[in-house]
Amino acid sequence: MRKDEMYDTPKKKVALDVNDLNNFVYDMDHCIKCKGCYWVEHTYMPGVNFSTRCPSNLWNDFDSYGAFGKMRIGLALNEGKLQWTDKLLEIIYADPLCGACDVGCKRNLDLEIELTLEALRVKAVKDGAGPMPVHKKIAKNIASKHNQFGSPSDNRKKWLAKDINVAEKADMLYFAGCSASYANPDIAKATAKVLNASGNKFMLMQEEWCCGNTLYSVGMIDDARELAKRNIDAVKASGAKTLVTSCAECYRMWKVDYPKMLNIATADLGFKVLHLIEVADEAIKNGKLKLTKPVDVRFTYHDSCGVSRLSDPWTPWNGERGWMGTVSPALKRRRGTTGLYTQSRNILNAIPGAKFVEMPRIRENAFCCGAGRGTKEAFPDLAKFAANHRLDEVKSVSAEVLVSACPWCKSNFNDAVKENGDNVKIMDISEIILASVEI
Amino acid sequence: MSIQKQAYKALEMVVGSKYISDDPAICEGYRSGPGGYESGLGYERVMTTIPGTVVLPRTTEEVQKIVKICNRYKVAYVPYSTGFYGPRSHCHVENELLIDLKRMNDFEIDEKHFYIVVGSGVVYSPIQQEALNKGAYVVIGGGGAQASAIANLIGDGWSPLSHRIGLPHRRILGTELVLPDGEVVRMGSLAEGSDPFWGDGPGPDLRGLLRGFTGLRGCLGIVTKMAIKTLPFQPEPLVPTGIAPNTALALPPKRVKWVNFQMPSKAAQVKAMFEVGKAEIAGAVTKVPLFWRAIAKAECKEEFWEIWGKETEETIKNFFIVRVLLVGYTSEEQMQYDENVLNDIMTELGGIPRPTKPSDESWIKNADSAGMWLMCGSYVSVDYIIESLSQATQHGEHYADLKRKYTPPLMPDNGDPGWFQSFELGHQGYSEFLVYWDQDEDTTGVDQFYLETAKMNIRERFYTSLLGPHQPLYLTGPKYGPNYHEWLLKVKDAFDPLWVCHPPVPLAHDDFVNRAEWMHPLKDWESPKKLPMPKW
Repeated sequence: MRKDEMYDTPKKKVALDVNDLNNFVYDMDHCIKCKGCYWVEHTYMPGVNFSTRCPSNLWNDFDSYGAFGKMRIGLALNEGKLQWTDKLLEIIYADPLCGACDVGCKRNLDLEIELTLEALRVKAVKDGAGPMPVHKKIAKNIASKHNQFGSPSDNRKKWLAKDINVAEKADMLYFAGCSASYANPDIAKATAKVLNASGNKFMLMQEEWCCGNTLYSVGMIDDARELAKRNIDAVKASGAKTLVTSCAECYRMWKVDYPKMLNIATADLGFKVLHLIEVADEAIKNGKLKLTKPVDVRFTYHDSCGVSRLSDPWTPWNGERGWMGTVSPALKRRRGTTGLYTQSRNILNAIPGAKFVEMPRIRENAFCCGAGRGTKEAFPDLAKFAANHRLDEVKSVSAEVLVSACPWCKSNFNDAVKENGDNVKIMDISEIILASVEI
Repeated sequence: MSIQKQAYKALEMVVGSKYISDDPAICEGYRSGPGGYESGLGYERVMTTIPGTVVLPRTTEEVQKIVKICNRYKVAYVPYSTGFYGPRSHCHVENELLIDLKRMNDFEIDEKHFYIVVGSGVVYSPIQQEALNKGAYVVIGGGGAQASAIANLIGDGWSPLSHRIGLPHRRILGTELVLPDGEVVRMGSLAEGSDPFWGDGPGPDLRGLLRGFTGLRGCLGIVTKMAIKTLPFQPEPLVPTGIAPNTALALPPKRVKWVNFQMPSKAAQVKAMFEVGKAEIAGAVTKVPLFWRAIAKAECKEEFWEIWGKETEETIKNFFIVRVLLVGYTSEEQMQYDENVLNDIMTELGGIPRPTKPSDESWIKNADSAGMWLMCGSYVSVDYIIESLSQATQHGEHYADLKRKYTPPLMPDNGDPGWFQSFELGHQGYSEFLVYWDQDEDTTGVDQFYLETAKMNIRERFYTSLLGPHQPLYLTGPKYGPNYHEWLLKVKDAFDPLWVCHPPVPLAHDDFVNRAEWMHPLKDWESPKKLPMPKW
């Protein structure tokens, strides 16, 4: 387009900064209600069953629970036309922020839906309306005990077994996270053993603190930022070149949300952030990790949001929006394309004896388990509903085992399975890898 | 504001408290726009409101009861399936009830008799996949894969695939309609209590009343169930590939194939469509605007403008692509035969084959209407023409000429004459003219252009499918039919004497012109001082 053909569109300053909802007025303004945020991408649409991607809007049918409704609500809030009420808080917080809407929108429109939803929560907290009461309790736990659950800090490394080799000093640091440390120790153990088996020397933090996932996710950005700074400093002080996590939520937090809060690029963290999936995939490829023990099950894989569509690296951006909504300088949109889709499937396909079957909704179209980002604590019904819906999909492909790469997913699915008396076994990817390794 | 308390209570008794709400935050989610089809324009700003109450029925019986309550308490209501069709499918009057039909998502497929039965909440892409699973297919309307099939079929319901599958009125079989007063009409074979396998019924065919050429935007009742004709496809799977946003269906090359031909002129383009139809080959034959190709190529909005910026009036004038979908419906040999015939036609007409990807990004399963918003942020189709191939394809240049006067705010497109294609094996031609703008600009010109196209059609004696509630009735009515507006209003009065069903449609555009000052200079037609409808 020649400059002389462009209309005299006033340029507006804009940044990818969730501290100010005004940065996302354009995005809220330009939602067209195509519901790409709600439906599975049409090319991959499996049929009338499992056709949706949004746990919130499937749980509650009113449009306000879908991203397209929240965009309109966000505008009204921003313009002072809506006041915070219990119902409005429910609409904003009954949502695992799983990113399905974001990648759905970016199929065609490239609107920043995920960031808008995060900014709405930041605004809720700044306005004194949010977060939900149970989130405040979690924040207190994190502040006092450095973990979500309020368990004694001393119990954090209880998962460490005698047959696990932890180095005093190593280039790799394993960050287990709250869930694997306290609620799912088998995942921490399995991860450590897989790292051992693949010849990856690793150390642990002197004093591991919660990553702050819930704090950031519910809009308590100032608290989350302080925690991020502390944690990053701790890693730098350890001399680690790589931080490995076995938790999808921690992975997203370290890789994406820490840089986002600190206005730096993922590449500028000073160390690499990897999930076990990446480490194991690499180790299998270069022959350092051998999966030789047959695992005789039919299993399927759930793409946890934090290791899939939410895991594109972060690059800070600010600039101007002008002609026809175009922005300058160039903005590389995060569309969830660099999720660990291939790596996880490489691993699962390498397990001998096992029959790996895919569910109808996979990769960027996967249906979230509903647990993450403060949802299960504040809206257990929604988390249960989402898990049950996903388990129906597991059963639809006759899988005996559901594998995920996130302890929060595992807990949530396990709770649902126990309550229903289902005979689906829930495993973490670290556990199924370990099951296939001769030790 | 909500609807009357008594009415609310009565509705709550029908659906239960979980499925009705007048909470401001819930109602806000049902606001029309600011983004969307035809959004950000004067019509939306002047004519739409947020609902007073939202209700989500599950069954036809519940819809009936809701509608009867609305009649009893004089509550205006609007049926709503996905909300995708912009302001015209949203509330227009204060304290209106929005009936969200998304829970009406029943689905049945009869593979033996080639039809499916759907509720109002069922969208296209799942239907297409279910049909493909059974060796059949349907048309996904230009409205997109995310459109409610029923809403689309009673409004538009065509795509390039209509070259072979045909127009929607032929594919609407047994249908269930809740009239504006709450009575149910069953059409086609449903009227006799039979399966919905047949579209015609005893007596007059009410499908014409239901949809005309482009529908009544929900002012004549609520279609709750419809049987839709499917047609046999070919047996090979179409495999989804890629990660969003770069996804496509991989096509089995010996059974399904898109082919592009560069033609020497527009006359050759139209002739090619005609000849392909006459030879009764191909599944689709279409010519799309050049900027759609730029949308497909671009990785982002900014890149689109880079690509598009290289085009000139000259390159647009000399862009004569015909895009053909070949389908081996019966066998690989049939596909080969079709291709040979196509090549013969193109050789005769000077068509040069262009490289084409062995995949389908849009039309078979993912009709990608949402991509239309990438360039500017706002879009509307100002006209559709369904005519003979030779006539339908003449309008585009006139639209392009008129459009220059309104550019800006309309997107500069170097006079692109729009989109046209063959329908029903060339027995009909189709032309659609789409316009794009930035909703943050002053959009007065878009409102005015939209109206001026109706006047241009009258002046140039063009047929148009966008009559009825799409333009002021008192402008188009006396000129088409003749006086079709009188008939339309008589039908409305007879079926909806209280005008509770989506008022003030079909007089909404007349009302808009009266209420929007910037439209007054354009009003040069006769209309009653007071529009013949109740005040809300």
